[in-house]
Amino acid sequence: MELNSLGLVAALAAFLSIWWGHVAVRKIEAVSVKLWQPMVVVFVLGTVFTGIALRTESRHLSAAFGIAGMVFFWDTFELYRQEKRAKRGHAPANPNNPRHSKILKHYPDATTLDWLDRNPRGKQYSVEELAKIKATEK
Amino acid sequence: MNWLGLLLGLATLFIIGLGFVWVIRGERYFGYLWWPYAMGFGILLIVSSLFINNDWASALVGVTGASLVWGSTELKEQAVRAELGWYPFNGGKLAPPFAGIIKKWRAPHL
Repeated sequence: MELNSLGLVAALAAFLSIWWGHVAVRKIEAVSVKLWQPMVVVFVLGTVFTGIALRTESRHLSAAFGIAGMVFFWDTFELYRQEKRAKRGHAPANPNNPRHSKILKHYPDATTLDWLDRNPRGKQYSVEELAKIKATEK
Repeated sequence: MNWLGLLLGLATLFIIGLGFVWVIRGERYFGYLWWPYAMGFGILLIVSSLFINNDWASALVGVTGASLVWGSTELKEQAVRAELGWYPFNGGKLAPPFAGIIKKWRAPHL
């Protein structure tokens, strides 16, 4: 029986590009002083990958580059969304980044605290508990 | 021109979009402890894609499997988001089989 590896290649391309994109978007957004710069780079990468996907004769390469290319386009938008998360305090702001120190100054919910760095405990936090956690911010 | 990759990429974005929905809803009504089942089902889909001759079907089943594996690693953080009040919290969740054992495992997060 002949195995069809296209699904496996597509799965790997999707999983790895989502994973690395997810990690890279957080890191890059936190350290970039001018956010438009990485946004342009990631968008151009998406364009190049999509171009390769369109030109190659190989089904496998077309699938891998096509999927990764679209994920790059999505990540361009995610860089912008990540900045919004920092403004809402849903992602920790980096005080050493001038763009983020401005966010910390102007958005009351922005924080250096990583709210998500905890395990689920099975019940909702009360307003008092949330205030207590917020007070641990350095 | 080889349109396969570009169209697959668009389909992948759509499948990822569905991932946002099932992770949020799934965590709310069932809880993050279902993660090994979501991961196992995803791996099963990826393996079964090897046996599908049609390229489109194989690729879409593979990507759906990858998205399930990814989503399974997001469930734990989604549970924290709901507990923090960022998403609606539901106290009456439907626990998975072997919840006691799964609780002792470290839920993956990437």
